[in-house]
Amino acid sequence: MNRTTRIMFGLLMLAFSSAGFAGADDKCLTCHESIGGKAVDLFKRDVHHAKGISCAGCHGGNAQSDDMEKAMDPKAGYIGVPKGDDISRVCAKCHGDSGRMKQYSSHLPTNQIENLRASVHGKLSTNGKERIVQCTTCHDAHGIVPVKNPGSPVYPLNIVKKCTQCHANAALMRTYNPSLPVDQLDKYRTSVHGMRNAKGDAKVAECASCHGSHDILSVKDTKSSVYPTNIPSTCAHCHSKAEYMKEYKIPTDQFDKFSRSVHGVALLQKHDLGAPACNSCHGNHAATPPGVQSVSKVCGTCHALNADLFSSSPHKKAFDDRKLPECETCHGNHEIIVATNKLLGVTSEAVCSRCHNESQNVKGFATAKAMRGLIDSLESREKRAIALVNEAEQKGMEISEAKYKLRDAHQARLESRTMVHSFNEARFQDVVNKGIVVSASVSEEATQALDEYVFRRVGLGLATLAITVLAISLYVYIRRLERHQAMGGK
Amino acid sequence: MNTFWSRLYSWADERVKLGGLVEYMGKKYVPVNRHSIWYYFGGVSLFLFIIQVVTGILLLLYYKSGELLAFESIQFIMAKVRFGWLIRSLHSWTANLFVLTAMIHMFSVFFGKAYRKPREITWITGMVMFFLALGFGFSGYLLPWNELAFFATKVGTDIAGAVPIVGKPMMVFLRGGEDVTGATLSRFFGFHVALLPGIFTVFLGIHLLLVQRQGMSEPLSHGDSPDTERKTMPFFPNFLLRDMLFWLMVLNLLAILAVFFPWELGKKADAFASAPAGIKPEWYFLFMFQTLKYIPGKILFIDGEVLGILVFGLAGFLWLMVPFWDRKSSRGETNRLINYVGIFVVFYMIILTIVGWIV
Amino acid sequence: MTSEVGPNGEQETRRGFLRYLLGGGLVASLAAVLYPIMAYLKPPQQAEVEVTSVKAGKVSAMEKESGIIVRFGNKPVILVRNAAGEFRAFSATCTHLDCTVQFRKDMGLIWCACHNGRYDLNGRNVAGPPPRPLDEYRVIIQGEDISISKKA
Repeated sequence: MNRTTRIMFGLLMLAFSSAGFAGADDKCLTCHESIGGKAVDLFKRDVHHAKGISCAGCHGGNAQSDDMEKAMDPKAGYIGVPKGDDISRVCAKCHGDSGRMKQYSSHLPTNQIENLRASVHGKLSTNGKERIVQCTTCHDAHGIVPVKNPGSPVYPLNIVKKCTQCHANAALMRTYNPSLPVDQLDKYRTSVHGMRNAKGDAKVAECASCHGSHDILSVKDTKSSVYPTNIPSTCAHCHSKAEYMKEYKIPTDQFDKFSRSVHGVALLQKHDLGAPACNSCHGNHAATPPGVQSVSKVCGTCHALNADLFSSSPHKKAFDDRKLPECETCHGNHEIIVATNKLLGVTSEAVCSRCHNESQNVKGFATAKAMRGLIDSLESREKRAIALVNEAEQKGMEISEAKYKLRDAHQARLESRTMVHSFNEARFQDVVNKGIVVSASVSEEATQALDEYVFRRVGLGLATLAITVLAISLYVYIRRLERHQAMGGK
Repeated sequence: MNTFWSRLYSWADERVKLGGLVEYMGKKYVPVNRHSIWYYFGGVSLFLFIIQVVTGILLLLYYKSGELLAFESIQFIMAKVRFGWLIRSLHSWTANLFVLTAMIHMFSVFFGKAYRKPREITWITGMVMFFLALGFGFSGYLLPWNELAFFATKVGTDIAGAVPIVGKPMMVFLRGGEDVTGATLSRFFGFHVALLPGIFTVFLGIHLLLVQRQGMSEPLSHGDSPDTERKTMPFFPNFLLRDMLFWLMVLNLLAILAVFFPWELGKKADAFASAPAGIKPEWYFLFMFQTLKYIPGKILFIDGEVLGILVFGLAGFLWLMVPFWDRKSSRGETNRLINYVGIFVVFYMIILTIVGWIV
Repeated sequence: MTSEVGPNGEQETRRGFLRYLLGGGLVASLAAVLYPIMAYLKPPQQAEVEVTSVKAGKVSAMEKESGIIVRFGNKPVILVRNAAGEFRAFSATCTHLDCTVQFRKDMGLIWCACHNGRYDLNGRNVAGPPPRPLDEYRVIIQGEDISISKKA
């Protein structure tokens, strides 16, 4: 044979031998194929089968033997159909062993079973005999393909169906946690993620993207990826990756902006669970939180009074006409910074100047200017009052009552910040005046206390002078008297 | 001016015959020796007591008794009433200085053995006044109804209650109940402004009368020198003017203290709050308080605290009775034992007070 | 009085000077003592000390499940009567940013309008931004009168 022929022959032999290899070492499959059954069909497509693992790889026994008795001999390791927690143990035998996995050139992680056991699904099922979820619950038993394979039940487009198999079953969920909702899928399908997922986009978020796969923890668990302080980074996992998000043409700087915002600082640094995470405004599974029309109207859920004032202000109609979102227009959405006085007024930094200037929307221009002037005045007066009170206190003067009154000034300043949203100068002035009056009276009291401080010391000085003069002259008088007595004889 | 005073004098003389009194007073002499300086402390104590009465009455015009308003009324006096801060701080400072000068006076009398015959009753009345002064301090301390005072009173009356047999009823009497409450405040107020002043005045009267009648005692050593070498000065006007000078200096000192070290008020008492750390009584009780802390819980079969109280009680009684068991001094002999006892007591009190303060 | 050594005139002036000094000093010192006392006796503008216990009204005036704000010195206090008829009083200063809270019968709890903070009728913060419960005040019922006194 010439060289080419030899190579061809060699390859042919190899082909046959590999076919035979598969068939030669998996007598189980050969036998059961003739019997038939879904498992066999599925297993033929299974990734384990492709890697050369026989039925005995999971079920145990002797895959080389034709003889049923020998092949399915418990002494040869045959375990039959594993039930309950045994199933996961079987999987873990290889999938938990990194050496094993390397043998098959797999880069899969090997901690799934540990994660699963620690997760909320690893808890005891209501039948009391096994854990809630086994590997096969989600991955199926025989037709296992890699996650990236569109045929896998845990492929992004399919996984939603898998999770809802249990989580949409109200009767089942009630036996575990009656407080858990069962309408996540319906809600999800109204969201951008849900709609795109339904259309076949495997890149958008599905259940496992946010909740995890093996390590799913309860929302209340601080280690959970969906615990409020962790949610921003979970969302940022995709939403901050410019490359990944390129085709969607939306910004990817929300997480950075949010981290800098008041809400972000409160949630991420101060761990204030009252602060909103991404889902507080954008909804959990649905497109918006329950009862909210759109995300542009969500702020009022917490900032109720501001929203009410705004709704009855002239801005409501003006914004609606121009299709401007209500709060976001002035305060931003992700990068909401602390609202200082600078936001109000007609300077370049103020948001009002975006629409109001000397020639445009003049009435608003005047109001904005006036309101800024008022609030600045209140702030400076309050600061002065505080400084005076501190000075008096430092000097040891009794000033506790004035200090109490300062709280009213503080309250007025806070209330005025809210009252801005009425955009009504008269109402605003009322609130601000309360604070100004209080600040004035406190400043007066503090000044009096400081004057008193000086007065006491001056008074003491004068009294000491008087007494000293008297004491010295008395002493001299006594001396003189005694000298006279001594000389004048007893 | 002179005729005015002489006319006033004759008017009074025609009615109550001042002549004899004036002559008597004119003949009073005060010994002049190197220990004379101590003679002034009795007068200073008297001056401080007068200040207490005056400032106390002034405070009474604005103080409101009862747990609802006591604290606030003191705040009011300190902040709103003109010179209220001065009157109140004076009253508090003078209280402490009064106890201090009374102690100095007491010790100088003790070391000078001036309690010996014929001045035994003077000593007794003086000691009674001293105990009353401590009572004034204890009852007055509670009146602002602040946190420190509340707990100090609790602890103090607890200790009183530890006295065997009479302790418990005594404690209930003092507290106006089982615990320190508004009822205690009412009682202490009554004690402080009515009961104690009344009793004190009686004993003060006796004490002063006796001093006037008997004159100043001289240290025993001076009894040796012959009469002619003993220097004296007339009470009127010399000693009196000198007394006034002292009083003026003390007055000035008090003013300086009141302005630069105003008395604190602290937080209002809250019966339900837990006691803050480091509760201790006023400095004049501190040495006893600290001693009680050092006594072990139980000695033989007696409770340590009870033993401590009884020992102090006995010591106080012996101290009170010193004119009667110090026979030697009555005979005019030097009694070194008295000196040693006195030195021990002084040092003990000072050291324990310092320890109690720092710890 | 024997005369001093030295010219009579000098002695007289010295004595006279001393007399003036003595007299002047005495008057000045007396003034320094009496002036504060006189000023003290004059009643201050605010004639009396502030109250710390306030009569909040009559028992019959407050329905069950209602709440009113009462002024307590310088601070607002909310007095609530729950469904069982019991009275409780709390500081009406919200623990979030010091706004004044109110009773909401429809919610059956104490509500803060500034940022939607909610407290139950034991003063405990149950929803919204408030980080701490409301401080409690003491309610004293004497016959028909309700009195509020400083913290329980």
